[in-house]
Amino acid sequence: MPFGSKKTVDSDAILSVLRTVMDPDLKRDIVSLGFVKDLQIKKGAVSFKVELTTPACPVKDQLQQECERKVNDVPGVKSVNVEMTAQVQSAAPAAQPRGAVLEGVKNVVAVASGKGGVGKSTTAANLALSLKQSGASVGLLDADVYGPSMQMMLGIKERPQVSDEKKLVPVDAHGLKVLSMALLQDPNKPVIWRGPMVHGLLQQFLRDVHWGELDYLVLDLPPGTGDAQLSISQIASISGAVIVTTPQDVSLLDARKGLETFRQLKVPVLGIVENMSYFVCGHCSERTEIFRHGGARKACEELRLEFLGEIPIDPRVVVGGDEGVPIVARDPEAPAAKAYQEFSGKVAQQLSMAAAEVAPEHPPIMPGRIDWE
Amino acid sequence: MEERTAPESIRQAGPNQLEILWRDGHMSVYPVSYLRRACKCAACVDEWTGERLVDPGSIDDGVKPVRIEPVGNYAIHIAWSDGHTSGIYAFDYLRRICPVERSKSEDD
Repeated sequence: MPFGSKKTVDSDAILSVLRTVMDPDLKRDIVSLGFVKDLQIKKGAVSFKVELTTPACPVKDQLQQECERKVNDVPGVKSVNVEMTAQVQSAAPAAQPRGAVLEGVKNVVAVASGKGGVGKSTTAANLALSLKQSGASVGLLDADVYGPSMQMMLGIKERPQVSDEKKLVPVDAHGLKVLSMALLQDPNKPVIWRGPMVHGLLQQFLRDVHWGELDYLVLDLPPGTGDAQLSISQIASISGAVIVTTPQDVSLLDARKGLETFRQLKVPVLGIVENMSYFVCGHCSERTEIFRHGGARKACEELRLEFLGEIPIDPRVVVGGDEGVPIVARDPEAPAAKAYQEFSGKVAQQLSMAAAEVAPEHPPIMPGRIDWE
Repeated sequence: MEERTAPESIRQAGPNQLEILWRDGHMSVYPVSYLRRACKCAACVDEWTGERLVDPGSIDDGVKPVRIEPVGNYAIHIAWSDGHTSGIYAFDYLRRICPVERSKSEDD
């Protein structure tokens, strides 16, 4: 070996420092999780990819910085290039088998509330858009058959087309694949649905719609605990439900009922988000707690659920909804938009954690369907 | 999901038996006619009083499933050869009526 040769960097040295980088949610290092891909070392220039389980990961930037810093400290490394990517995993307890309902959908997230008027649809729209903005492919089904509102919130004018395979094709709105009962009916007539009809309709929305490949399908459920909740939980395997409340006690009480319904149907509840939580003054940015505040956080502690965040009251949220451009798209820097993005990150995080529990030790619980011989 | 009531696998075992392996490691084997007689649907059991509306003797011993499908995350649906299709069997219920565990607790 020539005298004074420089120490060369090998992949073992890089991997051993990356083994000290932990995913804070999955509580394992990124090497053993299999996140590190395409590691290349050329004359001291190190490049690799870190493939996370969701593009909406709230700690993405922190992880990237930690990787860069630690690899940079390895002797002989001249430069580091870390590319953050994501491959969304399925968190459905009964992983959607081939040929089953929503075959190409990795995660079905239901947005629910114990009572009406808590901003559930606004939350669903902003959740879907935030996930989309992070780089995921996202669909939104307005399953609120009694009071569909997504056509207005997302400014949809066109009607869904029917494909050659006789399936409904969702409408594109802000990059989301959207379907709503409102797109199929006369907007001036109320919808009077009897229980069995609701079941049939939801079955069609989940079975006979060309959703294609999606990382997340967000379902905006009707308020309360009734036919629609039951039907959806029967037709599809829901990866998780998010419960929307407001600071008032009564809505928390209703949220608990919603929680119990999902528990009975074995739909994992990802957590509670508190809407209309406080008011931020548009002039001085001071925070005012109009209602008694913190109830949802307390309820989460009691019920051992994840507190998914609090969304401030902001008139721009309402204006955004009325004009067909939700606030995360219209005004992404507004406090309410930031709160929605943070909340969406937590939802994605909870789903990733659920997926890590489901796979790979737990294969699908049923082969989809058994034909008796 | 609680391991006792979460199935690891569900399959046909022989011409007249359904086998469920639960996540806690327990294996339940159900004679299919037993399951048909244990149907909890509103046509078989009165929804208010819990009274059984169908005489178990009137159900043919040779009854078989035609197909079994998952219902969300919590149950299976069985369509039967005698035309009965309204029964949904929740996993909690299936575990509760496991014939093996039932006979054991009766021995105690």
